[in-house]
Amino acid sequence: MTLLVQTVILGLLVGGVYALMSSGFSLVFGVMRIINLAHGAMIVLAAFLSWWVWDRTGIDPLLVGVIITPVMYVVGRVLYRLVIARVHRIDHELAMVASFGVAIAAGGVMALIWGTEVRSATPSYFNTSFQLGSVVIPQAQLYAFAGALAILGALYGLLRGTFLGRAIRACSENRDSAALVGIEVERTMAQMFAIGAATTGFGGAALSVIYQFVPDSHYVWIGRILCVVILGGLGSLLGAALGAAILGLGEALTSSYVDTRWATAVPYILIIVILLVRPQGLLGGKLRADGARA
Amino acid sequence: MRRPVNRLRTGSALVALLALTTACGLAAEKPADQATSTEPIVIGMSLPLSGPVADRAKPGMEGYQYWVDELNAAGGLLGRKVELKVLDDSFDQQTAISDYTRLISQDKVDLLLGTFSSDLNIAVAPVAERYKYVYVQPSGGADEIFARDFKYLFFAQPATTQKLPDRFVDLIAGLPADQRPKSLALVQLDDPNTTQAAKLFGERLGALGVKTVYNKTYAPDTSNFDTIANAIKQAKPDLVINGSIAGDGISLIRSFQKVSFSPKQFYQLNTPTDPSFAKSIGASSTEGIFTYLAWSPEAKYPSNAGFVAGYTKQFKAAPSEDAANSYTAGQVLATAVKAVGKLDQTAIADWLHKNTVETVVGPLNWDATGRPQGDMLLGQFQNGKLQIVSPKSAATSADVLFVKPGWSGS
Repeated sequence: MTLLVQTVILGLLVGGVYALMSSGFSLVFGVMRIINLAHGAMIVLAAFLSWWVWDRTGIDPLLVGVIITPVMYVVGRVLYRLVIARVHRIDHELAMVASFGVAIAAGGVMALIWGTEVRSATPSYFNTSFQLGSVVIPQAQLYAFAGALAILGALYGLLRGTFLGRAIRACSENRDSAALVGIEVERTMAQMFAIGAATTGFGGAALSVIYQFVPDSHYVWIGRILCVVILGGLGSLLGAALGAAILGLGEALTSSYVDTRWATAVPYILIIVILLVRPQGLLGGKLRADGARA
Repeated sequence: MRRPVNRLRTGSALVALLALTTACGLAAEKPADQATSTEPIVIGMSLPLSGPVADRAKPGMEGYQYWVDELNAAGGLLGRKVELKVLDDSFDQQTAISDYTRLISQDKVDLLLGTFSSDLNIAVAPVAERYKYVYVQPSGGADEIFARDFKYLFFAQPATTQKLPDRFVDLIAGLPADQRPKSLALVQLDDPNTTQAAKLFGERLGALGVKTVYNKTYAPDTSNFDTIANAIKQAKPDLVINGSIAGDGISLIRSFQKVSFSPKQFYQLNTPTDPSFAKSIGASSTEGIFTYLAWSPEAKYPSNAGFVAGYTKQFKAAPSEDAANSYTAGQVLATAVKAVGKLDQTAIADWLHKNTVETVVGPLNWDATGRPQGDMLLGQFQNGKLQIVSPKSAATSADVLFVKPGWSGS
């Protein structure tokens, strides 16, 4: 019984980490229809920055994550202006290929700067847990979980409650009409992409504390992020949270009760199943834009 | 909306064409013997410099680099300078196969040196054998690599995985029955070396009455070890043997700490011999951890002290076991080439089958399949330092800790 309860708790906490990693991706994917395969590389970049500042100054890496959020915003903005916006105008899918190119290049550059050694930030709480009876709750995972809730909440509030959010949703539904009513489409899109990138600040910081990472770790993470977003449904933040929880639980239960060897295959199995059974994802609805295009 | 599909098909066709072209490249002819040339001798290799074991491959690469620098400073090989041609296989079997094929058939390198891990070597050794190139591998002790009766394959460590458990099992067997561990958890990365070692440990400790209560293999790209650590904790083993390769061993220890589980005895393969091990988990957490060693910086073999001092000077860090293993592979190859006096692969292989080579891991000689005929050392962390505890003749510490203290800070 302890095994089951503990496995479920660990799975949900890992789900929280996945939600944190995929929130920005989900937003950009869902609203702008851009599959940003460089998202994983941005997370690893943020992880390196957090680890690096922590290593040099001893400042708590999760706090560094908050501080580098604006840095990642700028990185996103530059990436959008230099690469994504240019190819996106020509073809949606081209942005995906271009971002993958950026990811590969970024992996190489990070290896040049920080080397290929395995890195990890180890503040005092990195391997400690809260004890609840016979069940343990790892501290770092709990903080990441809380961070995920905060970021998802903030993004939800941004989309629903602000003018920028309404402008973003308008652009996603119909660019031409949005432009007609006076929305600056290009600026709004750049803003959106940069906000998606900014979420990797804290995500990367959490990665640096909870896991070990190398420049190439982004391949592993982008795989899981894609799974979460496809599972949850395009453009649905709630769906992303749900998808993350299912993936985290699925991996944990598979590892404990089926075979540890199968745990890393869970994301891909889930992608295949959801595409066969419910291609739009668990909470994904068809957008009006889809109807207009069809 | 049909266009993207067509584009995809064109893409697949291109990839297929590329694959075909590469396949045709395989048929390219072998280089003529260049014994009289004054050009440098080129030695080809492909290492996992990026990907999950990149941290281990870097010192491995430096071991080769140090060996070749030292060789060139002493006049090179057969009066010619020696150059390394190094490719990166990202710890991918298919890439390693195509890299070595390219080195042989396209780049026409003069000699080969081996790559790291059983997983890669099991795939690459047949390539070298097919082209009749001597293949000295610095790592990769899984027995199945040598079970194919290859003639050109040689292992540059004292023993294969088959003998890996010996010292530790002997140690446990030497304890009174009531002091032996009662139960055992085996948890290992999916690699021919570690899975074979786990199987042997399970069988041999089982014969001593140690019951296996957990036995699982995890994929190389596993990152969540918390659930694995938790499942092991619930199985309540006295002894945990972790067949790790690199960073996975660190992750598992961190997860043990998170779920508050400290086994009475803990034996870990490969990971603890990395020089950054103590730093990664904290020096005090290393106390009592067992591991095997193919090489020791303190061993009194003739070339060893010079290697440790020279390497430390060149790279500003002490050599790791991987660095020593690649240096050993280089020593083996150079000794044979010098003895034969020409770049004749068959003559070099024949010489190695008949002779003993003095290396930093001791004198090495091989049976007909390339299995070395020596023994591994058993090490244990004591007071933050990795000590050799068995055999007695090589021991640097007379004591053995049979009960590991709990992790520090948990």
